[in-house]
Amino acid sequence: MLEVKNLMVFFENAIALNDLSLEVEKGKIVAVLGSNSAGKTTLMNTISGLLVDMKKKEDRRGGERITLLGALKFEGEDILTIKPSLRVRKGIVLSRERHPVFRESDVVENLKIAGYLTEKHKVKEEMEDVFQLFPHLTKLRHRKAGLLSGGEQQMLAIGMALVARPRLLLMDEPLLGLSPAIQSDLARAIRDIHKKNITILVTEQFARPLMPIIDRGYVIENGMLVISGTREELADNPEVRASYLGV
Amino acid sequence: MAEANLKFRRERLDRGIKARSDTIYVISSYREILYLLLPRVLPVVGLLVLPLVLTGYWGKVLIYACILGLLALSWDFLASCGMFSLGQAFFFGVGSFIAGALAKYLQWPPLLTIPVATLGGGILCAAFLSPVVRLRGIYFAMITLVGPMLFSRLIIATEYLGGSHGLSSLTPFTNKWVPPYLAVGALLVCLFGFRRIINEDYGLVLNAIRDDDRAVMSAAINIYWRKIQALFIAGSVGCFAGAFMTHQYQFVGPSAFALDYSILPLTAAALGGAGTFAGAVFGSLILVPLSEALRVLAGLRITFYCIVLIICIIGLPEGIFHYLQRKYQQFERLTEI
Repeated sequence: MLEVKNLMVFFENAIALNDLSLEVEKGKIVAVLGSNSAGKTTLMNTISGLLVDMKKKEDRRGGERITLLGALKFEGEDILTIKPSLRVRKGIVLSRERHPVFRESDVVENLKIAGYLTEKHKVKEEMEDVFQLFPHLTKLRHRKAGLLSGGEQQMLAIGMALVARPRLLLMDEPLLGLSPAIQSDLARAIRDIHKKNITILVTEQFARPLMPIIDRGYVIENGMLVISGTREELADNPEVRASYLGV
Repeated sequence: MAEANLKFRRERLDRGIKARSDTIYVISSYREILYLLLPRVLPVVGLLVLPLVLTGYWGKVLIYACILGLLALSWDFLASCGMFSLGQAFFFGVGSFIAGALAKYLQWPPLLTIPVATLGGGILCAAFLSPVVRLRGIYFAMITLVGPMLFSRLIIATEYLGGSHGLSSLTPFTNKWVPPYLAVGALLVCLFGFRRIINEDYGLVLNAIRDDDRAVMSAAINIYWRKIQALFIAGSVGCFAGAFMTHQYQFVGPSAFALDYSILPLTAAALGGAGTFAGAVFGSLILVPLSEALRVLAGLRITFYCIVLIICIIGLPEGIFHYLQRKYQQFERLTEI
């Protein structure tokens, strides 16, 4: 479904992604594991197209020069340089790092804004699906998003991505800064999302809560791919066990 | 192109001399000394020579450009500690009226009125704006925007300080060399002084307040007091500009609070590049002569002026000074990947 080939990203003279290739097959949950500054967020921004937008702005401002090379194919079509909004229309939706929500709007309003592309009557259905997925949000329908806790905001952020009806859902560190209990709740929710025929690419620093649900994983370090394999292969790899499973 | 793109990317590097002078400070030849000194000495010498060359009408334009440069510097200084001001006219007007009143009612000479207006005006401005230092961003801007309107209406309505007619026939500068050199001198002192302040620890705190005031608070620094100090410094500079212009025109009226004095410094700083001070000066030295030269277009002048500004801001949002600085200190080359 998604094919990343020899992707290279430079921020000025610093290399963020170095010759990275990976593949996401339709209907799978794929994880990208890596520590801070490994390039996870850059990878997500490249796939979702935010980087293309950043590059334009920086170029105009005369700021950091972003260089983007390689190939990025979504269902056989090259999407490396197209606008982020077009990618959403094609079905690639990103739920960004640190659960960004519209703080001054309430939960329902947030979901409505996120469902801009979906037809009106379908948004209602999608919203109900989100509330079914995260029953906890149901009571908070009319609470301002800025007043929600970190976990609730993360649920809302994932919900917002879902209302846009993704075919490929990108999740950038969805478990960041959450308690272990909420982490495993969210991991279960991710599996439920996957059951709705949505392919998922998720990044994380700590693999344990995600391990039971993923089909395939890639480990990146300093922008380079170091280990890749199926869940079982990763679980058996001593390096992965030490660094990302904490065993 | 696509083929070439696959193998090369443009790399941006500091020039050797820039890297060396930034860190270990080794200068090995006259060429390098010139490289470092030229961008500083050239404008200084240029500004000092200009009053000798430009006399009459263009001499007045130069003075006006310097005064707007001072206001732009004062705007940039406030902006660099997170206070986005839309009311440079407030500082200008307060300085103007203090100097005007002292000259009219007490017959003080400019030698006294200007320093008193500068310091006293700075204190007055800081005191007037001190209740609003807690406001941030747009709220602070709104208050500073209404400040000059409030005072000009007050003067017109109460007929105090000359009312709508203003105070006229004030003492002029006696020597014809005083005004241009005072303006140019003040501009240079402010420019280099502000650049020094902002590079010291003191400026570090101000910049930090702009970035995240709560984090500065948690470092046990009283940010409100710092902001008031910054208001005093910026206010003094604006008041000096006002006091100077009062004696230059030998007149002060409610027009000293005109919106022009708020907007032009801001556009100058935006055009030249905010945050460097040199950009603010650069911008006003371009904008003022440009708008004077465009006088022949009469009614179309403002239109043309606005178009130039829009093109500059869209095409070069970093500002002219940042652009030149980058070209001067860095070079680019293609590197193979």
